Amino acid sequence: MRSIREKTSREKTTRCAVRLGRQVHLVLLGFNAGCSPELPTPLPSGHSEAALPRRGGALTLASFGDMRTLDPANVADGIAPQVLQAMFAGLVDYDTQGQIQPELAKRYSVSSDGTHYRFVLREGVRFHDGEELTADDVKRSVERALHPTSPNPSSASYASIKGYAAFIARKAEHLDGVSVEGRYVVTFDVDRPDSSFLPLLAMQPLRPVCKSAGTRYADTWHPCGAGPFKLLPGGWDHGRQIKLVRHPGYFRPGLPYLDSFTYLFNVNTTSQRFKFATGEQDVLRDFLAPELLKFQADPRWRPYGEYEIEKQVAGLAMNTELAPFDNVEIRRAVATALDRDQLQQVRASNLRPAYLPVPPGVEGYDASLKGQHFDLNEALDHMKRAGYPFDPATRTGGWPHIIPYLTYTQGLDEYLVQIVMQQLARIGIRLEVRIVNYPTFLALRGRRKQTVAGPGFWQQDYPEPGSFLEPLFHSKSINDEESNNASFYANSRVDELIDRARHELNPERRKKTYGEAQEIICDEAPWAFTHYYRFFVQWQPYVRDYRPHPTWTLDAARVWLDHAAGPLATRALFSGDALAKLLGTRIRGRATW
Amino acid sequence: MVARLCLRLGWAFFVVWATVSLTFLVHHALPSDPARMVAGPQARPADVVRIREELGLDKSIYVQYARFLGRLAHRAPHADASPGENHASCARILWAVHLDLGKSYQQRRPVVTILRERLPRTLWLALAAASVQLVLGVTAGVLAAAHKKTLLDHLAVSTSLLGTSAPTFVIGLFLQWLFAFRLGLLPLDGWGDSSGGHVASVVLPAFTLGLFGAAYYTRIVRDEMIGQLSEDYIRTARAKGLSGRAVTLRHALRNAYMPIVTVLGVDVGTLVGGAIVTESIFRWPGIGSLSVTAMLDRDGPVLMGCVMVTSVAVVVSSLVVDFAYALLDPRVRGARA
Repeated sequence: MRSIREKTSREKTTRCAVRLGRQVHLVLLGFNAGCSPELPTPLPSGHSEAALPRRGGALTLASFGDMRTLDPANVADGIAPQVLQAMFAGLVDYDTQGQIQPELAKRYSVSSDGTHYRFVLREGVRFHDGEELTADDVKRSVERALHPTSPNPSSASYASIKGYAAFIARKAEHLDGVSVEGRYVVTFDVDRPDSSFLPLLAMQPLRPVCKSAGTRYADTWHPCGAGPFKLLPGGWDHGRQIKLVRHPGYFRPGLPYLDSFTYLFNVNTTSQRFKFATGEQDVLRDFLAPELLKFQADPRWRPYGEYEIEKQVAGLAMNTELAPFDNVEIRRAVATALDRDQLQQVRASNLRPAYLPVPPGVEGYDASLKGQHFDLNEALDHMKRAGYPFDPATRTGGWPHIIPYLTYTQGLDEYLVQIVMQQLARIGIRLEVRIVNYPTFLALRGRRKQTVAGPGFWQQDYPEPGSFLEPLFHSKSINDEESNNASFYANSRVDELIDRARHELNPERRKKTYGEAQEIICDEAPWAFTHYYRFFVQWQPYVRDYRPHPTWTLDAARVWLDHAAGPLATRALFSGDALAKLLGTRIRGRATW
Repeated sequence: MVARLCLRLGWAFFVVWATVSLTFLVHHALPSDPARMVAGPQARPADVVRIREELGLDKSIYVQYARFLGRLAHRAPHADASPGENHASCARILWAVHLDLGKSYQQRRPVVTILRERLPRTLWLALAAASVQLVLGVTAGVLAAAHKKTLLDHLAVSTSLLGTSAPTFVIGLFLQWLFAFRLGLLPLDGWGDSSGGHVASVVLPAFTLGLFGAAYYTRIVRDEMIGQLSEDYIRTARAKGLSGRAVTLRHALRNAYMPIVTVLGVDVGTLVGGAIVTESIFRWPGIGSLSVTAMLDRDGPVLMGCVMVTSVAVVVSSLVVDFAYALLDPRVRGARA
């Protein structure tokens, strides 16, 4: 009896196992299908290309990063500028062509000697709390952002404003260089003519903040400005998302079109891809590398994707105070030995070969300049002139010691340097890669006589060549600790050219002067420039008038949504809303029109 | 019993203090600059110096440690008095005692506020995952032991081997792809915006963690149960005419509790410390992802807060396990008495 029962039980178990095996097989087949090269179908728009913008809807973006703070006086991460741009308007701003235009100011003038700026404000501009924006608010906001108690990481960039030194040293209660001349007129005085002043003013740190911000920075302030979107209490769930809603009192009539926009944080690239496919996320910027190529190759998606302009330069920074890179011929050899086209293949869809220190997306970039180039024979000649000839046939000669190269984990350079090592081995330079974490790398890179070579990278602080040349190659940027000039490069002629260009107000002459400095830098090669990094953005067809902004990446004020009829997107059966309905709790759905 | 409890609490206090102090020391010994991480890689040196002074990082490690300990637990101001700026980053833990872990360098918010946001979410996930692994692991282990050397047993053992071998990110991504993306049954990630959303959102991360743990539990329970089922008292119980189910569940399983409780206690403590990979896949705003970010950003106060929460969780769960032994096993109770 027992054996019959055992047998029956065994048969049942076997049948169950077989059924389970079939199910698992089906699931695995499905998983395989999901990972196939097929891209999701674009979610269509409701109207033709010629349709006029319509108001309403909620735009959702995402990033794998997080936003730490939301105060113009403390912009310290890469996502914050996109959100700040939506919340805070400036006196002047960059337009979609990358040109400076009056924003809160209806007009501005610059004195003939270039040291006095006069801004006439628009009247009736309202902050998010309903208060009117006046010249007093501008002065108060500038002093709040530049006060020594403010954690502003870019405060020193505004050192040309008159009285800055006394103000930052707490010797003056107010900033002499900012004056209020009536309810709607504010003036700025700078020590010397400064071509970077307006570009810096167009950046976010000095943008007017509501009266509730007070005269000094405080961590507890609820962010409030005069931009097209505002933050409601509880709208920012740290580490998860921020939701901004339309500011009804925005000074540009009719704008913004969106009811709200939401930025999700800490979303990994796989999840972003899933969300984008279902329309839960409307714009995709963080790609899995192979998927980016597929999107670009797919004719259905091609009209809805675009590269952002290049604003970053990267290269191999060589310490000019340490051997062997104190020898200019060795640096020239390195710069000439790098085959940038080959390096670009590490991530072909995001990298472009770099030959100049200023990226193509920056005003003042000049492709006609004599930059660095790849020529193996010339590199070998430089090695010979340096006193370390290398014979590629016998692989003898070259620099006799192994050069330590410091880099960091989880960055692109981990991969690039492996190719760089092979390329430099062809001229008799051997690298030993030492990998540390990013904070350690930053600390060691900026310490004098510490790091012989390592990756260099820089992103524009403001769209001017000086934003790259001054911190990276001017001798005044050399410090014993925290040095921005990580190659510790000093050349009095370059210093003089950078200074002259900064104080030159004529754009043509300025460009020419910066160009001359760039050619010297390329020749003396404190860096061997390798690549410019560029992001690609893909958006759903129903996201209209989306174009990557040259300065801010996102210009949410002019984007509008044009969903076709039908369900907006696939929603989880047991999503929060569905379960909330079941449980009878409050539903917080997504607004659509 | 009271003396034993006091001794254990004293030891627990020492463990937490030692862990936190060691973390403080290691964090300061690292060759990196928290002020540079706050200011960003492109900040000018003058701004980095100013931020370092503002955060008090220019002081010696002794001064910083003394400040940290000094404000960690301090007397709260009188109820009628205004708390003022000095107590802006405090949380009241007892009626007259404040806990102050300082402000996050990066987020510039009180660490206690950040932990207050994250801890309930972490506990929710930890309890859900522990439940999944307990229920699945114990069930599979008992079935495997009760049907020793049958196909069911082999299946349970093989599946548990698969579960312990498969990396969490593979299980997580697979569950996410299948149940959220393809079938649309559950939210893809996040924490949800309502109580219903919280329930729905925890399912996939809890199963991701729980399946791994369940596989481990299956093996423990099976081995322990097989040992118990071969004991004399089981034979006696069967001889007295008890059904197989009653023997298994009421007698053998009860005696197999001890290792399960031990492992579960350690697991809950560890899960409160954070399930870093799972939190990352499912964008779960818990302690794990917070501590990793704090470490990468050299955000000392947040890191210290996370370490403190984790060490307290492990110590408390160990204490609970220790006292659970006495409740579950009369022999332990007798020995202690």
